[in-house]
Amino acid sequence: MPSLMILIPLFGVIILNLVFASNDKMKRAAFWFALALFISQIAVAIFHHPIFWNNSLKPLDSFFKVSFFVDHLSFIMFICIGMVSIASLFVAKYTITEEGGRFKFINLLILASLGMSGIIMVKDIFSLYVFMEITAVSSFLLIAYPKSLESLEGAFKYLILSAVATVLMLSAIGILLLASGGTSFFAIASGIAEARNSSLIVFAIGLFICGLFIKGGLVPFHGWLPDAYTAAPASVSVLLAGVVTKAAGIYTMIRIVTSLFPYNQPVNNVLMLVGTISIFVGAIVAIGQDNFKRMLAYSSISQMGYIILGLGTGTGLGIAGAVFHLFNHSVFKSLLFVNSAAVEKETGTCDMNKLGGISQKMPVTGATSVIAFLSTCGIPPLSGFWSKIIIVIALWQTSHYAYACLAVLASIITLAYFLSMQRRVFFGKLRSGLEGLKEADRGVLAVSIILAAITIGVGVFFPFFFNIFILPVKEILVR
Amino acid sequence: MENYYLLGCIFIPVLGSFLLPVIGRASEFARNLTALIMVSASLVFSILLAGPVLAGRVITISHELPLGFNFILTADALAVFMAIVSSLVGAIIVLYSFDYINHYGNRNEYYLMVTLFLGSMMGLVYSGNLILLYLFWEITAIASWRLIGFFREKEYVLKADKAFLVTVFGALLMLLGFIYIYQITGSFDLPVIKAAFKTNPVPDIVVILILVGILSKSATLPFHTWLPDAGVAPSPVTALLHAAVLVKIGVYVFARLFIATFTIGQIWHTVVPVIAAVSALVSAGAALVETDMKRIIAYSTVSQIGFILLGFAVGNEIGCAGALLFILMHGLAKGGLFLCAGIVEQNTKTKDITKMGGLFATMPVTALSFLGCAFSVMGIPPFGGFFSKYLVFSGAANSGNMWITLTFLAGAFLTIIYLFRIFNLIFLGDAQKPPAREGSRVMVISVAALAILSIAGGILIKFPSDFVQIAVKQMMGI
Repeated sequence: MPSLMILIPLFGVIILNLVFASNDKMKRAAFWFALALFISQIAVAIFHHPIFWNNSLKPLDSFFKVSFFVDHLSFIMFICIGMVSIASLFVAKYTITEEGGRFKFINLLILASLGMSGIIMVKDIFSLYVFMEITAVSSFLLIAYPKSLESLEGAFKYLILSAVATVLMLSAIGILLLASGGTSFFAIASGIAEARNSSLIVFAIGLFICGLFIKGGLVPFHGWLPDAYTAAPASVSVLLAGVVTKAAGIYTMIRIVTSLFPYNQPVNNVLMLVGTISIFVGAIVAIGQDNFKRMLAYSSISQMGYIILGLGTGTGLGIAGAVFHLFNHSVFKSLLFVNSAAVEKETGTCDMNKLGGISQKMPVTGATSVIAFLSTCGIPPLSGFWSKIIIVIALWQTSHYAYACLAVLASIITLAYFLSMQRRVFFGKLRSGLEGLKEADRGVLAVSIILAAITIGVGVFFPFFFNIFILPVKEILVR
Repeated sequence: MENYYLLGCIFIPVLGSFLLPVIGRASEFARNLTALIMVSASLVFSILLAGPVLAGRVITISHELPLGFNFILTADALAVFMAIVSSLVGAIIVLYSFDYINHYGNRNEYYLMVTLFLGSMMGLVYSGNLILLYLFWEITAIASWRLIGFFREKEYVLKADKAFLVTVFGALLMLLGFIYIYQITGSFDLPVIKAAFKTNPVPDIVVILILVGILSKSATLPFHTWLPDAGVAPSPVTALLHAAVLVKIGVYVFARLFIATFTIGQIWHTVVPVIAAVSALVSAGAALVETDMKRIIAYSTVSQIGFILLGFAVGNEIGCAGALLFILMHGLAKGGLFLCAGIVEQNTKTKDITKMGGLFATMPVTALSFLGCAFSVMGIPPFGGFFSKYLVFSGAANSGNMWITLTFLAGAFLTIIYLFRIFNLIFLGDAQKPPAREGSRVMVISVAALAILSIAGGILIKFPSDFVQIAVKQMMGI
């Protein structure tokens, strides 16, 4: 019944707009609908019971002509999507005060998460493209909907670069279709295996990967990302940074690289190089930022680099580490964005030079941000440490010593910019003018605490989590 | 039963520390007392472990986990010795904090971090797996970062960030060294690594990587600058971090890895003493010219750590035993010095020794305790510091490094000069006006206890030295 993951939200949105859009009281139901949807999504993914996932709803599926497949990688992505969407939902409830705006936001949020659910379940490259566009279009609207100059600019940049990515990917899909006679992953993989050295195929692979680099915001295709993250309303930045770029860019990269052209050394070399450059460029640029959200955006670029670097090792352990880091990153980065949303809402600014000592007035926000940033820097026993060390060990085992050293040493730069963030925003003496500051509302605090608890819990109970969720991911290489 | 002692020793303070802020909301006193009980629990359990360990047993808890990140705790004589030293000094410091910290903000965070810090110190000394060791190593770094930035002034927080960055930088290099070892041996477990390097020394690159971690944590040249800067922390914190526990982590790991687990190339038995000698001399010189009381004592720590490193690095039994005793004696005495400085600072509201004088008249107990601890650090018999310093020297002389031994003698001479200088300027001379009061009873008792322990350690030298001899035999596999 995996198709329910698409159909329920789709019809849910239609019904919400037909029936519930009439008055403000009924619009509130959208929040609860979305919450229930995301929670049940997480639940079915965590328990991944075969009765739900392996049986198909015959009449429904054949009517809509869809067929999906799921594996452990998809489950992890489902959990990420559900979790970050809930975080985004609560932040929206807190930051968007007007009922109509919130209703629109929730509809778009459900559509975006629907698109991402599609991305992670399809098994042919064209459907992948379709769902990617669904996600992208909902994201443009989400970024643009405050209709301020800044947000329109951010949305526009994202739109243009996404269009470029689309063109690249669509051309690549066309070439691959010509070369292999099909668009399913299986057909393309066998087509590529037959004509391994055809320059046309290499060209197509190159185009597709470039498209994904743009979607994932990796250096040198990262130009749109900081603007989009900064300009977007707080709840949207949570969503974008937490999952959208990961599902559309990074997840697809993992899926494509492992199932379409496995064991391809040139591709792996490119991935590792781009990954390392992203780690350093993202981290070094982040040091100079004055805007809280912009710093987080550059930090995202840097952390994406780690994921790509792990993927580039091409070994099961490296990919497991990459997926693990993807999960961890979506937890702690959305936590940091939730914190930034709370700070922005309460103080009215994201400029770190105008903030200071906020921890005293917002203790929960301050404490959870410390946990999140320590995890990002890879300080044990938090979750980020384990995923990073797995990636480093995988690099070491494949004798990429230089990359391993660089990956480890980049942590010190990460630590440097986050310590400066802590010092300027949370730690230190309370800045004058902020005496009347209040802590964020309870929903957002609950989200922060839960995300922080996940970061700590995954770190402390790492072996349990790793064995059950992450290790099975290795099987995507065997297939 | 011993297994529970071992687990309790680590996890009572580590997990319990997170209860402290909750208790603190209900009652300040209950929280302080709980913190003290948790830290004392480590001490008691470690002492209980000492019995079987001294009888020659090694207590091990081991649990297999994926990827070689195994959970292994080992209690041998070296580990138990370190645990007793750090929890003993830690408990006295927590007691001292009762009165010192009670008129500052962020008290909940303070007790949380101190207890967490001491608990992870226990975890670190009992770790039998490199990743586990690294994990606790970084928890101590997090705790010390928050503790150094306790007074939320901007420059203080900057210095806390600096300490964090320097130690994490070293730790990351050390981690690379660990991964290198993992690549060679296929395991992070110390026993497996020990078996793999039984005949041949580890590659020099590994020694360099791990050494950077050790030097940065133990604040040895060229990574020492964070330590004097971290003197901005409250005095019990500086005592805890700089004297008794944090800086000892580095030398402990040196002993644990380079002596007890694998052998290092012959060249390192010369290189490390040279680094230690330079560090000892340079920082002793800095201590001579500084005027900030806490910076002087901090530089003195950097200098004395050099002696400990020398003892471990010369690679013979006597030096090693001396270094272990040095850890104990220096922890007690230097902790006492910092705590005395805390009393003086709190009651005179200054840290500049040129603005003090004549405090002997008004705070005699503090002055006498300071003098006792200072004698021990100088190495004057019958204080405990004498025996440890003597053994380190004799170990160095036995190894044939005459020049290095002479350099350290000069360092020891400088120690005497700068400690007398600071004592003179603070406690002797003209009395300042208005005269400062003596510290509160709990604080004075704490410093007096440390001074008495310092002299008792010298008079009753038999007990620690018996312990140390067993530890050295175990470490060197004799």
